[in-house]
Amino acid sequence: MHTHVWKQIRDREGGRVHANHFANSIKSYRTSQLQLANHKDIVSPHKGAINSLQIDSTEGRYLLSAASDASVAVYDVQRSASAASEAAAAFSKHRCLFVVDKQHRQAHKYAVSTAIWYPIDTGLFVTGSYDHHINVWDTNTTQVVVNFKMPGKVHRTAMSNLSTSHMLIAAGTEDVQVRLCDIASGAFAHTLSGHRDGVMTVEWSNSSEWVLVTGGCDGAIRFWDIRRAGCFQVLDQSQTQFGRRPPILKRSTITKPYHSQDSSTKMRGAQKKHANGSGSRQHPIGRVPSKGPMKQRLHPGMLSTQDRATAHYGAVTGLKATEDGMYLLSAGSDSRLRLWDVQSGCDTLVNFETVRLQINKPLQLATTQDSTLVFVPCMRSVKAFDMWSGNTYTILRGHYECVNCCWFNQQDQELYTGGNDRQILIWSPARSIDGEGPAEDQDSWSS
Amino acid sequence: MSIWNYVVTAHKPTNVTHSCVGNFTSPQDLNLIIAKCTRIEIHLLSPQGLQPMLDVPIYGRIATLELFRPHGETQDYLFIATERYKFCVLQWDSETSELVTRAMGDVSDRIGRPTDNGQIGIIDPDCRLIGLHLYDGLFKVIPFDNKGQLKEAFNIRLEELQVLDIKFLYGCSKPTIVVLYQDNKDARHVKTYEVALKDKDFVEGPWSQNNLDNGADLLIPVPPPLCGVLIIGEETIVYCSANAFKAIPFGPSITKAYGRVDPDGSRYLLGDHTGLLSLLVITHEKEKVTGLKTEPLGETSIASTISYLDNAFVYIGSSYGDSQLIKLNLQPDAKGSYVEVLERYVNLGPIVDFCVVDLERQGQGQVVTCSGAYKDGSLRVVRNGIGINEQASVELQGIKGMWSLRSSTDDPFDTFLVVSFISETRILAMNLEDELEETEIEGFCSQVQTLFCHDAVHNQLVQVTSNSVRLVSSTTRELRNEWFAPSGYSVNVATANATQVLLATGGGHLVYLEIGDGILQEVKHAQLEYEISCLDINPIGENPNHSQLAAVGMWTDISVRIFSLPDLNLVTKEQLGGEIIPRSVLLCAFEGISYLLCALGDGHLLNFMLNTSTGELTDRKKVSLGTQPITLRTFSSKNTTHVFAASDRPTVIYSSNKKLLYSNVNLKEVSHMCPFNSAAFPDSLAIAKEGELTIGTIDDIQKLHIRSIPLGEHARRICHQEHSRTFAICSLKYNPTSGEDSEMHFVRLLDDQTFEFISTYSLDTYEYGCFIISCSFSDDNNVYYCVGTAYVLPEENEPTKGRILVFTVEDGKLQLIAEKETKGAVYCLNAFNGKLLAAINQKIQLYKWVLRDDGTHELQSECGHHGHILALYVQTRGDFIVVGDLMKSISLLIYKHEEGAIEERARDYNANWMSAVEILDDDIYLGAENNFNLFTVRKNSEGATDEERGRLEVVGEYHLGEFINRFRHGSLVMRLPDSDVGQIPTVIFGTINGVIGVIASLPHEQYVFLEKLQSNLRKVIKGVGGLSHEQWRSFNNEKKTVEARNFLDGDLIESFLDLNRSKMDEISKAMDVSVEELCKRVEELTRLH
Repeated sequence: MHTHVWKQIRDREGGRVHANHFANSIKSYRTSQLQLANHKDIVSPHKGAINSLQIDSTEGRYLLSAASDASVAVYDVQRSASAASEAAAAFSKHRCLFVVDKQHRQAHKYAVSTAIWYPIDTGLFVTGSYDHHINVWDTNTTQVVVNFKMPGKVHRTAMSNLSTSHMLIAAGTEDVQVRLCDIASGAFAHTLSGHRDGVMTVEWSNSSEWVLVTGGCDGAIRFWDIRRAGCFQVLDQSQTQFGRRPPILKRSTITKPYHSQDSSTKMRGAQKKHANGSGSRQHPIGRVPSKGPMKQRLHPGMLSTQDRATAHYGAVTGLKATEDGMYLLSAGSDSRLRLWDVQSGCDTLVNFETVRLQINKPLQLATTQDSTLVFVPCMRSVKAFDMWSGNTYTILRGHYECVNCCWFNQQDQELYTGGNDRQILIWSPARSIDGEGPAEDQDSWSS
Repeated sequence: MSIWNYVVTAHKPTNVTHSCVGNFTSPQDLNLIIAKCTRIEIHLLSPQGLQPMLDVPIYGRIATLELFRPHGETQDYLFIATERYKFCVLQWDSETSELVTRAMGDVSDRIGRPTDNGQIGIIDPDCRLIGLHLYDGLFKVIPFDNKGQLKEAFNIRLEELQVLDIKFLYGCSKPTIVVLYQDNKDARHVKTYEVALKDKDFVEGPWSQNNLDNGADLLIPVPPPLCGVLIIGEETIVYCSANAFKAIPFGPSITKAYGRVDPDGSRYLLGDHTGLLSLLVITHEKEKVTGLKTEPLGETSIASTISYLDNAFVYIGSSYGDSQLIKLNLQPDAKGSYVEVLERYVNLGPIVDFCVVDLERQGQGQVVTCSGAYKDGSLRVVRNGIGINEQASVELQGIKGMWSLRSSTDDPFDTFLVVSFISETRILAMNLEDELEETEIEGFCSQVQTLFCHDAVHNQLVQVTSNSVRLVSSTTRELRNEWFAPSGYSVNVATANATQVLLATGGGHLVYLEIGDGILQEVKHAQLEYEISCLDINPIGENPNHSQLAAVGMWTDISVRIFSLPDLNLVTKEQLGGEIIPRSVLLCAFEGISYLLCALGDGHLLNFMLNTSTGELTDRKKVSLGTQPITLRTFSSKNTTHVFAASDRPTVIYSSNKKLLYSNVNLKEVSHMCPFNSAAFPDSLAIAKEGELTIGTIDDIQKLHIRSIPLGEHARRICHQEHSRTFAICSLKYNPTSGEDSEMHFVRLLDDQTFEFISTYSLDTYEYGCFIISCSFSDDNNVYYCVGTAYVLPEENEPTKGRILVFTVEDGKLQLIAEKETKGAVYCLNAFNGKLLAAINQKIQLYKWVLRDDGTHELQSECGHHGHILALYVQTRGDFIVVGDLMKSISLLIYKHEEGAIEERARDYNANWMSAVEILDDDIYLGAENNFNLFTVRKNSEGATDEERGRLEVVGEYHLGEFINRFRHGSLVMRLPDSDVGQIPTVIFGTINGVIGVIASLPHEQYVFLEKLQSNLRKVIKGVGGLSHEQWRSFNNEKKTVEARNFLDGDLIESFLDLNRSKMDEISKAMDVSVEELCKRVEELTRLH
């Protein structure tokens, strides 16, 4: 299925494959080769379940982990402290650069459920804990610079990667309201009301810095434009008509004025699918020109608040927007994984062979850059599914207890997973072991 | 070198990516428009062939080039979209002969993933909308309004994610697209959609067709009356429409390009990956398609575009070989081919590797490239300047002047060569054995120096000496008339043409004579206030034998004057300024424009545009050609007139695109030159240099001279070995008959003069050559060729085995003397501290050359370094190793002698996918990457922390828009130590599009000056289609777009010299620097390439 790497390099230099295509196919080949890394290892200092993992988006270099023992740690996954020697370069152990645990004066009191980088640089990071607090830390001094008191246990936090005009932390907590914490002012900017139960997961849109998606224990997935009141879209698992184009028109009707044609075009109002052109970047994807049959979405406001549609039976435990901004993946306590078309709000009806998901905890999903694979913690393993067919592509087995979170490093095509067994595992494209180097114990992960 | 770099193109892109035909420049003109990635060329079809009209840069990589004609228009508009999501619509302004922008815009989106298979841009045949497929799953529509203006764009969701091709169907009442796509199971289908402009959505189209040929990847829409679409597969061709389906077997072949022959769409030309051109015919009865037929026509270059021009003339644009103009004959030739190649247009692309050599040992670099691919693979020898191919030479000291003469006025060839010395004149002529032999012209005075000679009308010759003008019959060779200088005066300078003589004597006397049949008549005399230094009456008007103007250069007031003839009235006086007297003036005309050239004693040349009716001089420009006095002479080559400027840096002045260009002649010093077109040496020049007289022919007049050595196979790596005077290449031959995997790889040895294969080493089955170097090892005086290979086994996805082969050249043969197996592909090799450094998959490995007990040598591994994804490109300097990784940018390693270990020093943590690296100096490294960017990084040895020292700091960023395969230190031009530019270090690069470019490291002061000039030029020179230069040069990858820094665009800066005076003045004012100073500084830069 994959072209030989050497041939691809040759074809690229000859201009026979487009440079973009070259990079994508190498990435996809490498992703297909993921296995437990035989050349590097993370030494976890955590004494509790790993709840959250994230790599910084600037350099793809620093991994941030949060654990149930109230600790947070940062690792350099590119370079280990003793990388200089040849032996270390062949197999590197990555110890954490620092850990903030209960010894730290400002540490959280209970489990840290979420830790994220400030998207612009690695100078700040944000943690959320079951102690009802969200802390913003200065990375260099490991001191809290801003602190938000939340109304309940914090499940998830998120910041927008696209944002150029706001510094908002979206937080999902035990409370029904989603809060936006403004780092710049140190205060809550908004509260978003609509969910009828606690909010397990929050995710910013990949196409607009103003659009936030939240998943609640009430089974609802809500889309918010934070500049407007109320949510503008609620995903409905019964809405599954995506993919239908109106049937071919009878030749005889072609001469008639277009808008007087059969009613099938009008019926489709609610699931209209067209993306905005270049001129309308500032608008969220939900806003559509005030034309034709889309009137009911013009002033969504409080209307959608009343919408009781659900995306999952039970709680929504994980959300992940694809890199291209066109799809949203959701995981639920109904052990379902759904792929939603963001424009139309329809379930694409891809049948993921999930079997069983953890139900009581937020799950952190990961996708590859080209959105062909999604990595899902499925109890003690991580399954990689083909995004479009839902088939299991591969099963990554290595954790001894349930896996909570995964993060895919787009830059290196490496997957990091963390679980209740307190381990952080690196899954990386197989690297050939050079016999001329020092002999290495290939089983080192089990030690 | 420095971090302030200047990037300039020495050889423009030649890879033809798009072409189209239409009425662009006027309703009557038929134009061929060619895109060469970042340039477009507009040609006019004329009975003489393709006539170039315009060649302009585009600030973007062209993704789409389409002609279209809005309703009610009589000529076509040009639509261009670039890979960075800009588009523009251009129209021809026939008054200014320029492109006018009708519309432009940005079609980028925040959502969607850029398509893998390239961008698609199509225009509805009824001109209702433009369709773009730029992101997977989205189809962008730019509608036209009734007046043909573009309206706001919108996206429609396209469910088909793996789109291979999209075309508009003809003859549909609603705009309808046909989509060829691949599904999740890799099966290919076509589907049609109508575009509902009002609803901004698709409606299911009239038909679809499932499960096509697995290699189907090209759609050809068929125009009315047939309509429908042709689907070209690797083994079948299908015609499909709402009510017909026809299929025929074809190939197997991969069709790369098509061209429609008839407007009714019944015949098409198809070009495949082997260069086979076929004709596809749709047979039909009226509007009903009855079948398909194909017929092979013959071989061309491997086509990337095919444009049927007219009357069986076809343009074949190629990415892998030279582009061609061909004619399709009605009858096949002896080999059964209907194809006749009329013209070839040089294409260096793709340059996959090159080396810089100085084969003639003249101190000037030549670039030898591995160009082309498949059967069109070749080596190209690229040399700056014009070469003289010496045919004969004699030793002659002290030549003061040379002229060639004919034996009769209507003789097409020259017979005599008059050579003047300080106190005698000798006459050479071709004898019957075609040898130059001394002879005599009885009527000439041979005891004195000749000041000027010329053929004259009525079978006569003119000789001017210091005391007389002699008119001699060219048939009897006897003196017919003589004019004497007044006593007490001697002639200092003189010139003549076929009917006129102009001379100057001491005391500022100017004398004008006319030549009649056997008579010399003094017509006019004038006295000027100062002495005269030089004269010219070269006829540039209607009459080729008679001039109406005379140019005169003066001592004392340092001026050049134009006089009218025959009355010797002063028309124009131009002060030259400065203190250097003019030493040679010349009236000449290039491309219908008249110029006055005036050469000074210090090697500078001034040129003016000359109005022949008013004598007015305008557009004064000054260039420095050398340091010694210049003598100007015209000559013709290939029916075009050029000017030869003889000096210590001989130069040919010629015109292209109505712009004067200066090209070095590859000779060290020339004192005199005259054309000598004899029967034995047609189209030759006689050149006096360094104590000898040479007769030789001149290369084609162009800046870069390119010699092509077709190989018939694909050369991938090249290196030169001075010691054995050979080149060695890694090459491969495809065997198209037995499937794609059948390749044969070789190491071949070539003579560095003849470029003939003199020895070949065949690699194993599945063993591919990756890299080759020439090197030697410590404690061994021999010079070796080292070759790195990889075994590319069909069942593997990554190489796990390779070899390093060490050869010597003995008696012109490659002798394998050592080999070492490796655990992966040897992507790169470097000679390193008397050892061999190899990049093998993820690892850098150092081998030492060890003498065994039996006297033979072997490679023994010493140490290595892990930690790369794939170490593809490696350069070394001293103990430092710079690695360009497949996807992890640049890292710096150091070899520690004592420990015998290689350690990482620093790394750039950006995710650059590298395509080439080079070391500029100890601290600064240059990289080229996958998104067509250039960048520099700097070692930070003084960093305070380990973290800082371990990081290579990015110091320069620039979007080149070209994919670089190779950097090499070196220069294409002769480096004269006395010139300013001689001190500037340069790196040469080669790209997929056939560009050869130069990166020069400038001193900071010069960089700052030029940066200011660049920003002023941006304001004055507007990009074609309104595209922004600043945006174009901004570093751009999927993560970020940042303004270019520490790189300057030399192509923009050097276009300063093409500006008209008023724009130059505008810039001069903004910069507060005189135009002359600006010209001088920019001209210096042009001498870097």
